[in-house]
Amino acid sequence: MTKRITRRSFLRASAGSAALASAGVVGFADWQAERAHADEAADAAQATGETKRVSTLCNGCTNECGLWVNVKDGVIHTLEGNPESPNSGGRMCGRGHGFAQMTYSADRLLHPMKRMENGDFEPISWDQAYLEIASKLTAIIAKNGPQAFAFIRDPRPNINFYGPRFTAALGSSNIYTHGASCNLSLQSAYRATIGGGFSADIANAKMIMFIGRSYADGITPANVKALANLSTGTECHIVIVDPRFNNSGHLADQWVPIKPGTDLAFVLAMSNVLIEDELYDKDFVDKYVLGFNAFKKEVAQFSPEWASDICGIEAEIIRELAYEMAAAAPAAVIEPSWRAAFGCAHQNSFMTGRAVAAFNALLGNYGQKGGALITSSPALGALPADKFPSPPLVDTPRVGNAEYPLAVPGMGTNLAALKAMIAGDIKAVFFYQSNAAKGYANPKVWEEGLDKCDLVVDIDVQMSETAMLADYVLPECSYLERLEAVYTQGGKKHTVSLRDKAIDIVHPDTRPLDQIMRELSAVIGVGKYFDFTIDELVEAQLNSIGLTTEELREKGIIDLGTSDFEYGKVPAFATPSGKIEFYSVTVGKAGLSPIITWQDRKAHPAEGEFYFVGGKQSVQSHTMTTSIEALMNISKEYKLERLWVNASDAEALGIKEDDTVEISSSEYTDTIRVHVTERIMPGVVWAPTHYGGSSPYLTQGYDFGICVPNFQPFDMEPGTGATMSQEFTVSIKKVGA
Amino acid sequence: MVWGPLIAVYLFLAGAAAGAYLAESFISFKYPTDKKTRRWGRIIVPVLLGVGLLMLMIDAEAGFKNPLRFFGLVNNPASVMTIGVYIICMFMPISLVVAVLELFHKNVPRWLDIIGDIGAVCLAGYTGFLLGDSLGVPLWHNSILPALFLVSALTSGIAIVSLLGFLGDESEFEKMRALRPIHIVATILELILIALMLFIAVGKGAAGAASVEMILSGQYAVLFWLGLIGIGLVLPLALDVFTAGTANDHKAGALAVEASGHACVLVGGFLLRFIVVMAGVTMILF
Amino acid sequence: MARYGMLIDTRRCVGCFACRLACQMKNTLGPKEGFVHFEHLETGAFPHVDAEVIPMQCMHCEDAPCQHVCPTGATHTTEDGVVLVEESKCIGCKYCMVACPYSVRMIEEKSGVVEKCRFCWDDELGGPNNPSCVATCIADARIFGDLDDPESDVSKAIAELGAQPIAGDLTKTKIFYVRG
Repeated sequence: MTKRITRRSFLRASAGSAALASAGVVGFADWQAERAHADEAADAAQATGETKRVSTLCNGCTNECGLWVNVKDGVIHTLEGNPESPNSGGRMCGRGHGFAQMTYSADRLLHPMKRMENGDFEPISWDQAYLEIASKLTAIIAKNGPQAFAFIRDPRPNINFYGPRFTAALGSSNIYTHGASCNLSLQSAYRATIGGGFSADIANAKMIMFIGRSYADGITPANVKALANLSTGTECHIVIVDPRFNNSGHLADQWVPIKPGTDLAFVLAMSNVLIEDELYDKDFVDKYVLGFNAFKKEVAQFSPEWASDICGIEAEIIRELAYEMAAAAPAAVIEPSWRAAFGCAHQNSFMTGRAVAAFNALLGNYGQKGGALITSSPALGALPADKFPSPPLVDTPRVGNAEYPLAVPGMGTNLAALKAMIAGDIKAVFFYQSNAAKGYANPKVWEEGLDKCDLVVDIDVQMSETAMLADYVLPECSYLERLEAVYTQGGKKHTVSLRDKAIDIVHPDTRPLDQIMRELSAVIGVGKYFDFTIDELVEAQLNSIGLTTEELREKGIIDLGTSDFEYGKVPAFATPSGKIEFYSVTVGKAGLSPIITWQDRKAHPAEGEFYFVGGKQSVQSHTMTTSIEALMNISKEYKLERLWVNASDAEALGIKEDDTVEISSSEYTDTIRVHVTERIMPGVVWAPTHYGGSSPYLTQGYDFGICVPNFQPFDMEPGTGATMSQEFTVSIKKVGA
Repeated sequence: MVWGPLIAVYLFLAGAAAGAYLAESFISFKYPTDKKTRRWGRIIVPVLLGVGLLMLMIDAEAGFKNPLRFFGLVNNPASVMTIGVYIICMFMPISLVVAVLELFHKNVPRWLDIIGDIGAVCLAGYTGFLLGDSLGVPLWHNSILPALFLVSALTSGIAIVSLLGFLGDESEFEKMRALRPIHIVATILELILIALMLFIAVGKGAAGAASVEMILSGQYAVLFWLGLIGIGLVLPLALDVFTAGTANDHKAGALAVEASGHACVLVGGFLLRFIVVMAGVTMILF
Repeated sequence: MARYGMLIDTRRCVGCFACRLACQMKNTLGPKEGFVHFEHLETGAFPHVDAEVIPMQCMHCEDAPCQHVCPTGATHTTEDGVVLVEESKCIGCKYCMVACPYSVRMIEEKSGVVEKCRFCWDDELGGPNNPSCVATCIADARIFGDLDDPESDVSKAIAELGAQPIAGDLTKTKIFYVRG
């Protein structure tokens, strides 16, 4: 059975849903009119003019920024950052403002949808959806065992509670996040090396180095502000190591262009300088590092001259940077990064993460002002077992754990689940707010995997490309219409906050996740684990730490005061040895080099080919925001979909600004407009990773720009199972030339 | 440019109306017996202006939707547009009265005609000032434009009145040739003024230079060189000069050539406004 | 009486579009409409390059060319120096748009009226109400306040940082830029 939807059948389906959407505000223009009307009505005292302020958490990305939502006559009016929120710092980014408009998007899902025999989607009732999903799911589990089920999610407080619980209730351990296509490599590397993640103490750094990461492109508001403060108010030396002069470049003091996927060589060479020239923090290393001597021996071969050939940075610059970092230490740090250059990009990303953690150790900056901070997170207390019984622990290891043992357990590698789908071992899969088939790996492979499944269920607010491949699509209400489980955030301070319901449900046939889980589990027969409302859950969670919902709602965000962080205190390293592991037995057991060493990237451009780098833009969040009219209009007005090509390369190929080129990799060919710029290294092209939408239900982003994963061969990083999103090269030529 | 073809049409029609009034006034002064040309000339002036104003109103969407707002147009005497409204408020009634008198075969008092002439000169010149007062557009922001538009209005007016001469008898049409010297001088002046305008614009920074580039070698180059300079100015000028030597040629073919010359002038008159409006580039600050 | 103005520090601006989007929501503009737009400047040649983003919006000029040309008086300046458009007077002739050297006026799709940044003017309040571009700016690149009050944050920052109008004394703007 082919699962592709035709344009014709789409039009039929959307005509149906449009007719059903008559109630309520649908579409940005409608919403604006409604708000303008609310203003006028309020002015004329015709409406109640009722305004309220609701504290909630943004859902535009995983930052969980605290917001205040201003609601007028039951309609979202404006949003502002909550000053108590550690990530927002009282501000709000563009995609956050835009994502709130999802609530009123004309492209939202309004009813449960079922794919019919002919491939078309038709609205069905919730009862029918539950019954059919439950009967298929129980049949699959009865026949193949519970491990034939997997749940893949973009982590959010609600799904982080309900997803694992639901999976465990079914007896499966196959619960995954999107991590394999995000920051799985580096998080796993930091876990293996220093026992977990770290943050850079931006505000106090005297020298900070960003490798691939750009605060201005993948935005956390508080970080941008801190970087701007550093840039204009201090003597801090800010270095951007990136093939592209990204949008943070203007705030930096130095741009060091580097060949994509060779960051490891650069970091090893800087380590070489620190060690050979005895610039590293000997006391710190003696006390806290495991395997230093082996590492010293290993990096002796990685001189700046050696690295220069590989990464394209002059040896002298590498040496200078190492010296400057050492001089500024311990208030010097390589920023931990996120997806960027080594979150999941190359086969050496995990090793790069280890080298970064090790370099910071050589600076002795852990726990120091201006250095690398390891902080704790608050925990909620246990829930009353009578009301909230936990499903039994599942002992069976998650699919993928054996082959990819280095993956952070909280994430896992969903690509292992994909392979199991293709192999026929996983037969039922649920997705939550996760556009896996568009963003996690090559979409062709996802299509194949999902096609082989007997049951694919997607819970989302919109008909994403993944939803297009599902058998059942369950429409959730938007984040402004629902309460979610309690969110706790660690760091220098410990806070607790809520994603709360700001307005009533706009489309009456959409439901929040908690309700879907409760109702579906009851039909499946595991309802006892979900026999509570979200309000009851939140109250119980808060009670477990001595708070109440009412209290939290009033304050928005509460500082728990439980953080034990203090500057100057070297943190505990949660590695097997309790030390920073330059040599890791665990890594060795996984088949990788136990000592941190050089490992090349996999794909190298042949003559005339280019390295490809993909990246984020400030107004979009993965692919999920490309349905937002206001955001897409910015993307279109400012031509944000364009492929960046260096001016000298463009000249050689006869390409001018805004020309359309054909871009090809081993997997795919497409066309795209070009931005000719001096801001990218010759031999490298860059494109944003948000676009190329192919779901005709999502009218705003449909067929705008290229879908980067199309170009990416299916592959998985050894050890972690990350997607290796940039292990390919491309050739480009002017269309018509 | 936010102002587009509708504005160009208005500027052209307002100028043509003013020019036609002046030309007709001159003819009726010089040849008071040529009734038919005068009659049509006087009637067409308010029609041209009226159509032009309609264009302006359609372009002003918010006013078009709420017509009462147009009464507010008199509010700001510092605005050239308001001054234009004052001029139109004076000229339009005069031209209408003149047209009605003509329609009913009544005599138009000389004093009224003279006031109308003054109004026509103001109207033609104001269209230039309207653009010229736009600080944001260097191509327009100069003192040449009012003179240029005035001269162009005159040539367009002469062309219209000359063509209307066809409606009269042959002798009337021939008499229109009295306007020929004015037309020749005006056309040469227009060429000089266009050159001056472009020269000044180039000296006004990037936006002015960009406008000039668009006109001379960019997207409006064909319209400019072939349309405005070639067909609109040089060709009629050549015809004028050429036919001046063969005065009183009564052959139908010659008349047709002459008439097409006038039609070309009108094409040029419109293209001048169109190109100037469309090639306006807002100040480039960076 | 105040004289409201703003400072925009392009050394801090990362061009994230948050100001445009916050403004769009607060002022109930259409999805394609914005009072703030952005100039992207790239200078130098690889690898010695720089990129600057300059947010542009109504400069609230003392010598406002838009007000000078507005035939109906729809564009006016309040006592506090905020240049506003009175919707009920605007005919949409766009003369103000061609007169504005900064191209920061736009036609509202729904009404045909020409609009622009109003410093989040609130009629009820009779003054600017916490301009959303400033409130949301994640880089703290904007400061708003009374230019006549030497103790206001904006006045102090302008003096300290030597902020300048974007185009010299062309129209005596009340938005001041720190460039770099």
